[in-house]
Amino acid sequence: MLNINKTIDEGKASYLLEGRLDTVTAPELEKELKASLDGISELTLDFEKLDYISSAGLRVLLSTQKVMTKQGKLKIVHVNETIMEIFEVTGFTDILTIE
Amino acid sequence: MNKSREKRKGSIILQVATLFALSILATGIIAFITQHARSHTNVKMQAEIHSGEVANEVSLTVREFPAYRWLLRYWYDHSDTLDIEYDAEFTAGTETEKKYQLFKERNPDIQIKYVGLSALRSLPEEDQKLYAEISYSWLITRINQIKQTHNIDYLFCVLTEEPYDRQFFLFSGADPGAVRGTNYEEVYPLGVVVQVGESQQAAMRSAVEHDGSLADAGGYVDYYSFLCDVDEHKVLIGMTYSLSSLTNDVDTQTWRGTAFAMFYQILLSLLCLGLIFVFVLRPLDRVQHNIRLYRKTKDSETVAKNLAEVKPHNEIGQLSEDVVELTSELDRYMRRNEAITAEKERISTELSLATRLQAAFVPHTFPPFPNREEFDIYAVMNPAREVGGDFYDFFLIDDDHLCLVMADVSGKGIPGALFMMVSKIILQSCAMLGRSSAEILNKTNEAICSNNPEDMFVTVWLGILEISTGKLTTANAGHEYPAIKRPGGSFELLKEKHGLVIGAMENTHYKEYELRLEPGTKLFLYTDGVPEATDTENRMFGIGHMLEALNEEPDAAPRQLLQNVHRAVDGFVKDAEQFDDLTMLCMEYKGESRHDD
Repeated sequence: MLNINKTIDEGKASYLLEGRLDTVTAPELEKELKASLDGISELTLDFEKLDYISSAGLRVLLSTQKVMTKQGKLKIVHVNETIMEIFEVTGFTDILTIE
Repeated sequence: MNKSREKRKGSIILQVATLFALSILATGIIAFITQHARSHTNVKMQAEIHSGEVANEVSLTVREFPAYRWLLRYWYDHSDTLDIEYDAEFTAGTETEKKYQLFKERNPDIQIKYVGLSALRSLPEEDQKLYAEISYSWLITRINQIKQTHNIDYLFCVLTEEPYDRQFFLFSGADPGAVRGTNYEEVYPLGVVVQVGESQQAAMRSAVEHDGSLADAGGYVDYYSFLCDVDEHKVLIGMTYSLSSLTNDVDTQTWRGTAFAMFYQILLSLLCLGLIFVFVLRPLDRVQHNIRLYRKTKDSETVAKNLAEVKPHNEIGQLSEDVVELTSELDRYMRRNEAITAEKERISTELSLATRLQAAFVPHTFPPFPNREEFDIYAVMNPAREVGGDFYDFFLIDDDHLCLVMADVSGKGIPGALFMMVSKIILQSCAMLGRSSAEILNKTNEAICSNNPEDMFVTVWLGILEISTGKLTTANAGHEYPAIKRPGGSFELLKEKHGLVIGAMENTHYKEYELRLEPGTKLFLYTDGVPEATDTENRMFGIGHMLEALNEEPDAAPRQLLQNVHRAVDGFVKDAEQFDDLTMLCMEYKGESRHDD
């Protein structure tokens, strides 16, 4: 229930996520990111079509954030209200770059 | 079982035998038909050859008379005046013998057998007649013999001419004692004229043109052979066979041929059936027997040993090898399956132990502090799986300070449970050192961040209640806002200051929030399993529904409140599988008053 659309272009990667990022789908994204984060200096996660994020999804964001802090930057775009609320509650707004 | 196997084995033989029987029958019929056609032709051909020979013999006999043409003509011209003895026996005293003596007396110089045409022509009329009568008798005697020798129904000589529509009978062979006449079963004498049908006409014409021809006619076969021309007339030798004897020959030949063919086919079929039994059914039976044996005993080694005797290098040998391989594979598979099952059982046993352990690890006796009447606590923890990552906790730091914890680990199942255990212990340890809410979270975060390769985190709401005053100091590490109900009010979210989840970043500094609880205030703590409980159509329960459930009976005791929420959640998700851990805690602050009593 999660579609991942990625485009990689000279160190810049963009992931368009569609669906739910939960316990079932978070490992998919984690695997996908682990496989292709090498040499990426700018990672964009587009949440425009993402409906829901669970703590498992947050964990993947946290891991990714930690990796990207070392090699570049991570930004999350088009976050909807529901997910923004989750980010705020969990304090993730403090550590993520959300545009 | 044995019986049904026998039955099935029998049916294969039966099926093949039926197939053979049907094909034998079919080929028998075909053989009969072809044999019949061929025999018919054969017999007809033989009859033709035989007829040719007989005709030749008759022809030679006639040609022995040097002036046979003259004789034939004379018989034809004088048929009504000739006095003929048909059954002459050449002994003294017969008419012909007397005529012969008379002729010799009158023509002592003439050798009657070899008399030529010119000599005959010079004879007086009376002697010519004598000669013709004697010769006729001699000839008819010979013809009778030929007829009897060759067993021909009718042997005759006719004179005819274009358009072959009549036959003038010159002579007909007869058996001894046969009556000469034109009635039924009588033999035609000289001079009988018969009108003939089309098939006879055609046969005679064909005989004249091609020398010899058969004609079928009403139960008989007629054969004609051309003898000679006599002036404008044609003389033909004729023969008649009865068709029934011919047909009998044909039938006998046909039946014999068919019987032979079928006999060999049956022999071949029996041989085939025998071979099928020996080379197919018996080995198959052995293979089948061993399959059954394996099903009963699960002993692949015995099966392999038994089937090693089935050796034919054909499909059945291959089948037997396959069965041996299959059984040993099955054995291996079963052993592996047993191991897996045992492993599963072990894990399941361990998990159920872990479930009990985890449930026992959080305070679970209610009321927890029977002699403290200043507050009432009730809590539930329902992991989605055997063990979960949510937990609640409460304990007295000292006589006047009650610590409440609600936490949610980023993960479920065993990893969640392990992380939960660690988090709970660290939190409690830090709390027991008498630190403030924020300090407890700071320290816990540091402890967890120091060794967290998997980037797990935990959201924690922690509050310390000063029982004597009702002062509540809270700190929130990324956890849901608690709901609070003040006396006379209804449940609403308590939006305090918020910090990052524990385990995410080192050096996170949490802030505290302080509020004072009036006696009668209720605090409802929960994890996201409550608002995010999901129904089959992926809709979430939501904070709104949760508050509604709480406000159904806002003045009820904590236990009742939790039951209300739980029932509302169950009613919402209905048949959907519980996906997230469901953990709730409700604390009612009753105040110091009773303590004084």
